[in-house]
Amino acid sequence: MTNSPGSISRGTYALRQKKEHDRRCLAVLPIYYPKELLTAFDILAVELWGPPGPPCGDGAGRLQSYVCSVVRNALAFLQSGQADAMDGALFPHTCDSLQGMATLVTDFGGWSKKSFVFQHPRGSDRESAKVCVEQELRSLAGELEAWTGKPLDLKRLQWALDLHREIDACRATLLDQRARCPLNDVELYELLRRGEWLWPEEHLEELRRAVQALASSPIQKGIPIMVTGYVPEPEGILAALGNAGAYVAGDDYAAVGRRVSRSAKHLKGDPWAELVERYGSVAPCPTRNAESGMRMQYLKSLCKSSGACGVLVHVQKFCEPELFDIPDIRKTFAAIGVPVLVVEGDLEQTLSGQTETRLEAFVEMLSTAGRPS
Amino acid sequence: MSVAALGIDVGSTTCKAVAVDEKGRILARRVEAADPRIEKQSQRMLEELRVAAGAAVPVGATGYGRKRVAADHSLTEITCHARGAFALTNSPGVLVDIGGQDTKVIHIGGSGEVLDFSMNDKCAAGTGRFLETILGRLHVPLDEAAEYVARAARPVMVSSTCTVFAESEVISMVASGEPLEGIVKGLHMALASRVSSLIRNRSEGDVFMSGGVALNAAMVAALSEALEKNIRVLPDAQFVGALGAALSVR
Amino acid sequence: MMLRRLQYEMAGYAGPALLRFQEWQRLRSRKGKKSKSGAQASPFGPPLECVGKLKELMSLHYLQGRYADGAVPVAWVTSGFPIEILRPLGFHAVYPENHAAMCGVVRMVPKLSDAAEKEGYARDLCSYARSDLGCCILNTTPAGRLPKPDLLCCCTNICQTVLYWYKALAERFNVPLVLIDTPFVYGEAKPHHVAYVRSQLEELVKVAERVSGRRMDLDKLKDVVTRSKEGARLWGECLATAQAKPAPWTGIDGFFHMGPIVALRGSEECNAYYRMLRDELKDRLSRGIGGIVNEKHRLLWDNLPMWFAVRELSTLLAERGFNFACTSYTNAWAEAGIQIDPADPFGSGASSYMHIILNQDLGNRLGILTRLTRDYSCDGAVLHSDRSCKPYSVGQVDLKERLMKEMGIKVMMLESDHNDPRAWASEPGANRLTAFMESFA
Repeated sequence: MTNSPGSISRGTYALRQKKEHDRRCLAVLPIYYPKELLTAFDILAVELWGPPGPPCGDGAGRLQSYVCSVVRNALAFLQSGQADAMDGALFPHTCDSLQGMATLVTDFGGWSKKSFVFQHPRGSDRESAKVCVEQELRSLAGELEAWTGKPLDLKRLQWALDLHREIDACRATLLDQRARCPLNDVELYELLRRGEWLWPEEHLEELRRAVQALASSPIQKGIPIMVTGYVPEPEGILAALGNAGAYVAGDDYAAVGRRVSRSAKHLKGDPWAELVERYGSVAPCPTRNAESGMRMQYLKSLCKSSGACGVLVHVQKFCEPELFDIPDIRKTFAAIGVPVLVVEGDLEQTLSGQTETRLEAFVEMLSTAGRPS
Repeated sequence: MSVAALGIDVGSTTCKAVAVDEKGRILARRVEAADPRIEKQSQRMLEELRVAAGAAVPVGATGYGRKRVAADHSLTEITCHARGAFALTNSPGVLVDIGGQDTKVIHIGGSGEVLDFSMNDKCAAGTGRFLETILGRLHVPLDEAAEYVARAARPVMVSSTCTVFAESEVISMVASGEPLEGIVKGLHMALASRVSSLIRNRSEGDVFMSGGVALNAAMVAALSEALEKNIRVLPDAQFVGALGAALSVR
Repeated sequence: MMLRRLQYEMAGYAGPALLRFQEWQRLRSRKGKKSKSGAQASPFGPPLECVGKLKELMSLHYLQGRYADGAVPVAWVTSGFPIEILRPLGFHAVYPENHAAMCGVVRMVPKLSDAAEKEGYARDLCSYARSDLGCCILNTTPAGRLPKPDLLCCCTNICQTVLYWYKALAERFNVPLVLIDTPFVYGEAKPHHVAYVRSQLEELVKVAERVSGRRMDLDKLKDVVTRSKEGARLWGECLATAQAKPAPWTGIDGFFHMGPIVALRGSEECNAYYRMLRDELKDRLSRGIGGIVNEKHRLLWDNLPMWFAVRELSTLLAERGFNFACTSYTNAWAEAGIQIDPADPFGSGASSYMHIILNQDLGNRLGILTRLTRDYSCDGAVLHSDRSCKPYSVGQVDLKERLMKEMGIKVMMLESDHNDPRAWASEPGANRLTAFMESFA
């Protein structure tokens, strides 16, 4: 949990924000949530992706070992008091395990502060789902109003939308133009992942600097690969790819590239419509969509546009939404002759030797592809 | 017949080293139980081969301990096994290497390149350790396993997927009078079934075996039955990785 | 198409006679054989007489299924799906979960799962899904032949996994998938969530009409809903007979007799069967006949059953005088129909299908477990920690502690899986159950 140049932890940063800016802080579980709304209420979102490592404290044994580590670790973390700098927690309804965790901590203890849930519908293309998203957003806004004691200022919401749209535009540029970015993967992801906890205005500043530092033409020399998965943890996975001579040219990590909103529309004067529209304009994700063809199409086109010559599927063990798509991913890329490597992680602190070997072997395979021995 | 390169495969159970000539043929070979002091052991083994070579030659390293070897080049055991196997067969196909602690399946293309691979390195039940542990418990020497299997009238199937539970299951079977030969056959079939599930596409093409377990004829037969294919055990089965490593620097 | 339709209808008429004939032949051929257990007396009470009718009912359903595709519109549906909407449109419904459980009972799952795993499905995924996908891949089934779907119908009230599973089926069969997404109920259901489910039910009607080529008849819908509600009530009556001591049947029996309320819900055959079952159970009550011979202790079972080991487990328990008087799983089907109102099928249906046990918070679940413990006079409980069923297993560690504390009963967790025998270490597992039972002495 110490991703920052100044080695500041998310907790310390949050406390500072409270002190210096009188901001409330919400611990937010993965994946999708209306960050713009939180920003409009002057609430700092501090995302909880684990943390990596074994779950520790009294809460460690409350969930069976076959529940994914994202949830097991998060539950133990909340219960251990390490998130006590937070004023509340927000649980998006991402999957069965997160759904269960939300009721577990609120009904049976482990998190005594305020809890919010955000339930995005599945099958987002349908009319009923579109209506429900708006109502869910309004409902959450109402709860935040009651909690903060402040009504939602629509001008402030518009400002937040503009801010986050620019953030997403910068993130999209950095990811789409990856080859022109002088940072290595470890550095780039460190930067992008700071968006999980920095106050958005601060994050935007550093993103702008990074965009300005892009070279005029591609400078990354390694083997380009595309990664799809949940979260780039352990960080060692990026270092291993780098050491083997590859870099992430196409990103479909749920924590990173997949949730970059690419809404270009700016519906003047209707921030609610824009909020709803932004919420629906992210890449396909198995936790949200009902049409599998959509996701495969997207992954194929991302692979093509990024110039990737191999696909790394980095799933978390026991993560049903991601695991169910693996056969489809294999079939899709086999049909176009792009090699696929599936690596199952467990939010371990350090990358295992076995996983490192697999990654290296994959890169070796890609680099000798087509060349006679 | 001069030595053109050395290759070393630092595995977790055994350390293997070879010296090859300019045609890629193995001139000398060494194998020892793996010593945790990898630097020392690898240095000594390479030195022995270097002395025989009489001159300085490039060294290629592979295996899980490859980064601790003073070598000119290191590559993963996947790539090295593919190269070594192709040098021995000159044919595309699927290489199955059942090691002491991991199992590799490598799809090799027409130029010896790696097309695809899968590894079982999380669970002992799909590796040589499975047989070693349980046969050891039954006091059946590994090198006699094939004879036991040959004498079996019918296999006694083991259902546990975990080595530890399989061990207790087998002990119960012995206690209730099941024939030892049948149990040994069942164990081989269980391992063969797990290994064959690593092979995703049962494509046309030859299947080869390397690794220590390939020297167990019963295992070769069981895997052959599970895959419904003839299997070719590579000569110098244990040294395929080291060979590939040497070829990479020759 | 007409010939097909004729075959489908004929199977419905001739089926029962055919099945009875087959059963009679089977019994005749076994008459000469000695009983396996020899002189040892069974710990179970006499088998329920209506089991024959149950087998016939379910077999008929599968028999008709063989001729369904091409004859009538076919829908594959999840167990918690509002089937009532499809029945007036003439759909033949297939329940992949019910079918997967069948595969579990006949021990086909390892082979099916291997086929699914070979395609890349992880072994950690729901074993129902792996069984079903394995059947599709291998084109095999223990049920003769499953009709191909024209429509896939998925409701997330039991879990989100069904959506990922049915998406895979939609790819395979290249047919539309209709989704009833039911937001989880934390405390009170939010009005806009109920409205969302209601809209989806209306969207469902449009899709189902298009696929079936028929228009929805609201009167017929009302009839189906009335029967559904009555079916749930009758099932509840059957379950409630086990509140008596001794319970006239075992909790394990309940898992099998649950078939009609899941797969034939809304039909008159389902209700007729439960009336028959209820009457037989009441008769056994009046004569003091128990599901097990010597009932000493009564347990609650939580979570799905272990289909591949039901007999093994119930025998192990019965031999020591333990019976599962109630289960949270079988109970769920009795509760599901309570809120439904035939006069307002869409509104009440939306609410009803959102309020099933797995779609509500843990506080509610604890309430159900404590109520069952009390009503059925249980002195212990077994919580099946089902490895591949997250929604049912998350929270069990806490539920165990709270149930023990609140009700003062002994509770154990049993690690296994609902359909995959490879996740069940039978010796250590049986040992733990035995130790648990000994602790009651």
